[in-house]
Amino acid sequence: MSTVLLILRRCALRHWRLAFKQQLALVLILALGSSVYLAVRLASNAALSGFETFTDGVTRQPDWTVQALTGSLHEADLREMRESLGPRPVSLLPVVEETVTPASDKGNGEIGSRPTWRLLGVDFVALLNLRSEAPAGLGATNMQSMRAGVYVSPKLGAKAGEDLRLIVDDRVITLKVAGIVPEVPGVPSLPAHLLLMDLPEAQTMLQRGDRVDRVEVLSQDSTLFPNLREETGGLLKAHWQVRDGANRRQLAGTMTQAFRLNLTILSLLALLVGGYLIFQALDGVVLRRRNEIGILKSLGVTDRAIQIAFLLESGLLGLCGGGLGILLGWLGAQAAVGGVTKTMNALYGATSEQQASLSTSEALLALSISILASLIAAWWPARMAARTPPAHMLGHHATPFEGGTVWRVEWIGWAMMLAAVLLAQLPVLRFENGTRLPLAGYTAALLWLVGAGLAASTILRLVARKKAMSAVWCIALSHLRRPTVRHRFAVAALASAVAMTTGMAVMVASFDHTMRGWIDRTMKADIYVSSAGAQSASSTHAITQGTVAELGQEPGVEELAFVQAKTLMWHGGEVLILGTNPAFAHKHDLYAWVQAPQLEKWWQAKDGITSAIMSESWSERFATHVGDVIDLAGHQVRVVAMNAEYGNERGSLTLPAAVFREWFDTDEAWRVALMLKPGVDAETVRSHIEAMQPGLSVFTNAHLRREALRIFRQTFSVTHALEVIGVIVAVVGLGLALTSLLLERRAVLATLHSLGMTRREIAQSAALEGLGVACAGAFTGIAAGLWLGWLLVYRINKQCFGWTLQFHAVWWHLAVLGVAVIATGMLVAALVGRWAALLPAEHTEE
Amino acid sequence: MKRAILLFLILAPRLHAQTTADGFALPQPGRAFVFPRDHGSHPEFRTEWWYVTGHLDGKDGHRFGFQVTFFRQARREDGKTLQLHLAHAALLDAQTGRFLHEERLNRAGWDAASSESTLAVQNGNWSLTLDETTQRLHIAATVKNEALLQLELETVKPLVIFGKDGVSRKGASDTAASHYLTWPRLKTSGTVKLGAVEHAVTGEAWMDHEFSSSQLEAGQVGWDWAALQLKDGREIMVYRMRRKDGALDAASTLAVVERGGNVRHLTSEAFTWEVLGIWKSPRSAAEYPNRVRLRFEGESLELKPLAADQEQDGGITQLPYWEGACDVIDSHGQVTGRAFLELAGYAGDLTGHLAPKAK
Repeated sequence: MSTVLLILRRCALRHWRLAFKQQLALVLILALGSSVYLAVRLASNAALSGFETFTDGVTRQPDWTVQALTGSLHEADLREMRESLGPRPVSLLPVVEETVTPASDKGNGEIGSRPTWRLLGVDFVALLNLRSEAPAGLGATNMQSMRAGVYVSPKLGAKAGEDLRLIVDDRVITLKVAGIVPEVPGVPSLPAHLLLMDLPEAQTMLQRGDRVDRVEVLSQDSTLFPNLREETGGLLKAHWQVRDGANRRQLAGTMTQAFRLNLTILSLLALLVGGYLIFQALDGVVLRRRNEIGILKSLGVTDRAIQIAFLLESGLLGLCGGGLGILLGWLGAQAAVGGVTKTMNALYGATSEQQASLSTSEALLALSISILASLIAAWWPARMAARTPPAHMLGHHATPFEGGTVWRVEWIGWAMMLAAVLLAQLPVLRFENGTRLPLAGYTAALLWLVGAGLAASTILRLVARKKAMSAVWCIALSHLRRPTVRHRFAVAALASAVAMTTGMAVMVASFDHTMRGWIDRTMKADIYVSSAGAQSASSTHAITQGTVAELGQEPGVEELAFVQAKTLMWHGGEVLILGTNPAFAHKHDLYAWVQAPQLEKWWQAKDGITSAIMSESWSERFATHVGDVIDLAGHQVRVVAMNAEYGNERGSLTLPAAVFREWFDTDEAWRVALMLKPGVDAETVRSHIEAMQPGLSVFTNAHLRREALRIFRQTFSVTHALEVIGVIVAVVGLGLALTSLLLERRAVLATLHSLGMTRREIAQSAALEGLGVACAGAFTGIAAGLWLGWLLVYRINKQCFGWTLQFHAVWWHLAVLGVAVIATGMLVAALVGRWAALLPAEHTEE
Repeated sequence: MKRAILLFLILAPRLHAQTTADGFALPQPGRAFVFPRDHGSHPEFRTEWWYVTGHLDGKDGHRFGFQVTFFRQARREDGKTLQLHLAHAALLDAQTGRFLHEERLNRAGWDAASSESTLAVQNGNWSLTLDETTQRLHIAATVKNEALLQLELETVKPLVIFGKDGVSRKGASDTAASHYLTWPRLKTSGTVKLGAVEHAVTGEAWMDHEFSSSQLEAGQVGWDWAALQLKDGREIMVYRMRRKDGALDAASTLAVVERGGNVRHLTSEAFTWEVLGIWKSPRSAAEYPNRVRLRFEGESLELKPLAADQEQDGGITQLPYWEGACDVIDSHGQVTGRAFLELAGYAGDLTGHLAPKAK
């Protein structure tokens, strides 16, 4: 071991000092790789933690959360719950919850740009019974201090006595800040955007009567009731929807699982491309130290000691890179969290922007990734360094290394691609609550990318078949004809990165194309109205019937229809139930059918079973087929058709309005659509309604179309950044690979130079060699990316979201990508060639 | 603690004989009680309680003292009435001296209610009900998730209405009065589950049902109350209203329920209350005179607590008080009965607490 340490100290660390910039570059590469992964992970975690829940803020995590099968819970339900529990010591906390929006913050006019807060109505008197489990200061010590209004967190920045102007449903109301709930260590504190109100006051303000949204149940096991929690859950499940209190965050996690998984996979793919780069960089290190290794071996240092010393050095590099990666990753996460949160908000709603905080486990994970990547990448160079005979190491005219057999067998790549094609046929993994994990699809994508990278050497040889037009061409092509492992890796990295970018571009283009068609088909009203606080599909802001009636009386309005919406737990997952006027939708042909109903007037059920339309996501999520009769909250429902619905991926079921009202006991509207009389200017009507109804957001058809497309494009904003990183890393990798190759060939270059070849010609030769690699990488990448796009569009996306997209590739985008990669690759190669042409035959350190 | 709730009251001048200034009813002499309706709630009065205390013996030799109490307190503001339901439950394991107690507060509604037609009060999972068919009372209560009491109570002696002409006076003022109904001896059986161990128990309990609207007088700071069940078949109820200047209020009284059910009221001059020992609470620092001797009509009865620490800390109301099971010792040193002693107002001035704002 002392020999290893001696080598490490005398050789490795000396090289670090001599070639500080190179080592720094290497550390930066490692840092970049691990930081991308860490940043994406932290940002998505932060966005997820923005799904604030009552339970996070007001009491300890409840054991159960109880909701009505449909609609709200009434006081009679609460009484029944208590009776059903008998003498068991169970705390039942009824809660009303509503999303509210500060009226003063108008955002930038885009949907999702206004903040969404939560207002919770909780019984402050009952909370006194949970003193140690609720935030201090909620009138717990002295009920005299309990005042009307809302209690807020100090993090909100409001002062007691201040007025808060809020949009609640379709109204703008003013609430007084009754108090600030202090943060006391050891006691749950209130999240920043949670407003608390005494239950009766909240019920009055929200016009709820005796209704509550849910009941939080605390039932801790004790020696007195050793199975209290389970008993309680069992008893309540007989009549109500009961779910694990801890599930709400999990539910948010489940909801956003597909999105987060996409991000993680993408960041891992970026890491894969980064892995190629790390390998190339470490390979270069070995190359530059050949002489030294040769001398050490001549002096009797064992192969094992050399290999261990190299691995230790790379581990050390990994540690430094990982450390820096943690810092970069954290900084990156702060920048990315806004984008990720925005995307999650647009898709799932009700999350607020959080600071991406770093935990020890995340930091250790990033560090491990960096060290592991470094060790894996160093394994082969270290092994080669140890195994190469000293004579080869010391010889200036050493034969360029062509790599082990395994790297040169292209069929492995083709086999991986074939395996990917077969895997793509496998079905998605399904879980109990309707969550799906397209594991086979993701594995196929990974195999395809790696396989395409390995198989790309075939293309490299095809490129090399080009007839040589001059000595410069001849030299360049000769290298490509017998590609070394370095060539292969450079091509593989480029091909993988380009394939990834192409695949994503195809998916985004397909999405965009499909969305446009869907919007054209379904958005036919002249004006759309929602609550001004409705910032996402999950917002609970509603429009009262009174307001709907007022909208219908607008002079320019010819027809009006509204959609009602409520969420429901079904098969362990949250689904959206919509209520519409089917005659209106039928008249205006508003559905984009995936499977049209057999009866034109589908809502007119003959056998007494309610007819409903499911969205494609529903069908995919719950494996429901048209014609199936399902049991939904105690009601028999026959699914008579399937429509395309890109608004949510949880799945929606559309009921006739009358059935919806009966089930949910509400006539509040979620969205209102207005058809105007011929000749009436939509913008005029929009302005008029907005002036009359400050609590509403009013969109003309054109504006809403733009917004819908913007939101969907926003979904992919994070993925674009990752693609760019992938391509940059691959192009840098190409530069590094060429550097290593030319370093290895420096004696040959010196010979060529002395034979009369000019430096310019040497640089040109290197540039052509780089061009060949870039062409092979870009061509293979784009070709492989098209299939990857197919996989994303028809398999992964369909399995994750349940949406059928039409394959669409914007060819000129792909052409620009190919040209950009080839041009950049050639430029980098030319620069490296210019540098290499100046190399002395015996080069030591740079 | 039955009178602790009185401290929450705002003393209001009487406008006329029927109601308080804010419209709550006042006890009227000669009221004709109708049962089971009058076992139920009287929301026209500001304050009401159903107060059960008792002693239980397990078949395994375990002895317990218990208290299960339901309060109703009304408050009027801006023309609206807010009904609050407070409840206390306590259990003393006399063998170990372990004293468990819990306080609970809820708005009137789905989780706390008192029937207006019969005896049926509930606060969370605690309940006290009268089965009109069997005329038996049922109690179900847990204490701190550590003990479960499920008891059946059977009347042994008839209902007693304390006071003159149906009105129990607590002070010189006309309003300082209540309707005070008591079952002085209830044969009790059931189970006490303490942790994982369930004890089959039998014993005797006492139940007060009292309702009023403004019975405390200005200058009164606390009270001592005791209910004694003697082996000879008699029961004694005594309360002493203590004034700020240390004097005893003249309205203090001692009532003897004879074996046959007849009740004799003695005036404050007819009995003495001698403090034999004081226990200082390590939590509230209140000094409770929890060992006392009663002398009346030539009898001497000492109340000796089964455990010194039977203080309820008043986590919600912030009104600590001492209420505990005692043995009754005669002048010969013999145990002649069992008692519950209540000592309130020793932990400071409590007026004004627990007065939530009406919505």
